[in-house]
Amino acid sequence: MKRRHFLKDLIAGAVATTVLKSSIVEAAFAPQSGQRYLRPPGSLPEEEFESRCIRCGQCGEVCPNRCIDYFDLENGVGSLNTPYITPRSKACILCMKCGQVCPTGAIKPLQRTAEDILGYVKMGKARVEKALCLSYQGKTCGVCYRACPLADTAIKVQLLEQPVVLDGCVGCGLCERSCIQLPQAIKIIPNHIRSLT
Amino acid sequence: MNENIKPFFLWKHLNKLRWLVLSLVFLMLIYLPFAHVYQTFVASFSYDLLDPSEKKLFDLMEMLTSPFISDPAVDLDAIKGNTWSGNFFGYKISDPLAVVAQMASGLTVYWPFFVSGLIPIFLTIIFGRFFCGWICPATFLYELNTSLSLFLQRFGIKTGRKRFDPRIKYLVLAIGIGISAVMGSVLISMIYPPAIIGREIYFGIALGGFGAGLVFFVLTLLFDLMISRRGFCRYVCPGGALYSLLGHFRLFRIKRIVENCNDCAKCNAVCEFGLDPLHDDFGQECNNCTACIAICPTDALTFNIKITDDENQGPGHLGKAYKKHEQES
Repeated sequence: MKRRHFLKDLIAGAVATTVLKSSIVEAAFAPQSGQRYLRPPGSLPEEEFESRCIRCGQCGEVCPNRCIDYFDLENGVGSLNTPYITPRSKACILCMKCGQVCPTGAIKPLQRTAEDILGYVKMGKARVEKALCLSYQGKTCGVCYRACPLADTAIKVQLLEQPVVLDGCVGCGLCERSCIQLPQAIKIIPNHIRSLT
Repeated sequence: MNENIKPFFLWKHLNKLRWLVLSLVFLMLIYLPFAHVYQTFVASFSYDLLDPSEKKLFDLMEMLTSPFISDPAVDLDAIKGNTWSGNFFGYKISDPLAVVAQMASGLTVYWPFFVSGLIPIFLTIIFGRFFCGWICPATFLYELNTSLSLFLQRFGIKTGRKRFDPRIKYLVLAIGIGISAVMGSVLISMIYPPAIIGREIYFGIALGGFGAGLVFFVLTLLFDLMISRRGFCRYVCPGGALYSLLGHFRLFRIKRIVENCNDCAKCNAVCEFGLDPLHDDFGQECNNCTACIAICPTDALTFNIKITDDENQGPGHLGKAYKKHEQES
C-alpha cells in the first residue's frame, strides 16, 4: 500500500513538473502572433508591464482617440486583455490621459509636457523605408513630417522633403498613420522588438 | 408576538434597495462605454461625419449628460473604469483582489495602488462579503440566472442542485495567486467574473466585439444553471474567497430572533450562498444580501452588531418542535 502511494506521488509529481516546464505552457505564454504593436505611452518595459497591468481597461476607456485596443488570446495568455496600439490603424496623440488614469503605474503618470514626453515615453522609433518613400523617389511629399507632433525634434526633412528620423522620436505612430503610401513607407519599430535586435 | 423584539422595519426593504444598487451598477457599466464613445465623437468635432445611428447615440448622450456638465470631452472623465478598478472624481478605487494579485505578480508594492484598495478592504472588514451581494455586476446576472433556473423548474426541467465544499474557492484563490506570481501576469483577472463583465461590456460596446472572457462567463452561467445553484460564487470565485477571509470578523451580521421564528425554513431556501440561517449558521460566507430578512414571514431575522455569530439557539419559539418540547417539560 505504501509503495503504491509513493509511486502515485512520484507519477503525479513528474506529470506536474513536465506540464509546467513543457513547451505547451511556454508557448501559451509567449507572444506568437508576430504582430507589431505598441504599448500605451509611458508604459513600463514589456515584461514588467505585463506583471503590473491588472487589465482594468481604463486606459482604453479614457483615450480620446480610441486608439487603445486590447489583446485577446492571440498574443499568448500572459498578455490577455492588455492594452496595445496599432499605429497604422489608429495612432497615439500623446495626450497622456492613460497614464494618469492607470491605477497600478503600469503606464507611468506623466504630464503633457515636452520634458515628460521626451524623457519617459519610449513606445518605439520610426524607420523610413527609402525604397517605398515617395520623397526619396523624387516626388516631394513630407506628410509624415507634418503629422509629427514633435517635428524637428523627432523627424526632419531634407531639401526635397525626404524624412530623416532623429533621436527624439518617441514612437507615437502619427507618421505611420498619415503615410499616403500603401504599404506605408514609414513604420514604428516597437521598443520591445528593438531591444531584441 | 412580543412587539419589543420586532426588527427595525426598514431591514425588510433592504433587499429592494440591493436590487436597485445592483441594477444601477450594471447600468453604469453599460453607460460608461457609451459615454466614452460620445466623448470621442465630441473630441473629434465630427458630428456631420457620423453615421445616422452614431448621430442618434450622440444626441441621446448629449441629452443625458448636458444638464450636468459643460465640456463632455473633459468633464465625463470624472467617472471611469469598472468595479475591478475605477476612477471616481479623482479618487481611484480598486478591488482588493486586484491589489493582492498585482502585488503577487509584480513582486512589488505600488503604494498608490495599495491605497486605492484600502476603502473596499475597510468596508469589507465592517460589512463582510457585501461586495458579492450588493455591487458585483456578475451577481446581477447570476441572481437572474437563479431565477431562470427556478422558472425552468416549474416546467419540470431539472436544474443543478449539487453541493460541493465551499473551501474549494480558497484553494482557487491560493493557486491563482501562486500562478500569477510564477508567471508574472495577473492571470486571476481571467477567472474573476466582475472583472470579466466590466471589460467585456466595454469591449462589446466601444471596441465592437466581445473577447474570450465572455466565453468563460457563459460557461460559469451554464455551470450555475445545470450543475450547482450559484455554484461559481459559492465554490470557485477567488474574489469571494478573499472577501470571505477579510470579512471573517465583520461587525454587521444577520441574527435570528428565536422568539419570532416558526421554523418555516424559507430563509434557507432563499439563501443564494446555501447557508443555514435557520440554525444560526451564517459564517464568513454570508454576504449580507438580506434576502432572508425580506422573505421571513414572522420578522424573525434582523441585523446585529457583533463580531461572531450566535450559537445555535434551537428551534424557533413559534414552531411545532418548540411547542412540543414545551408541553413535554
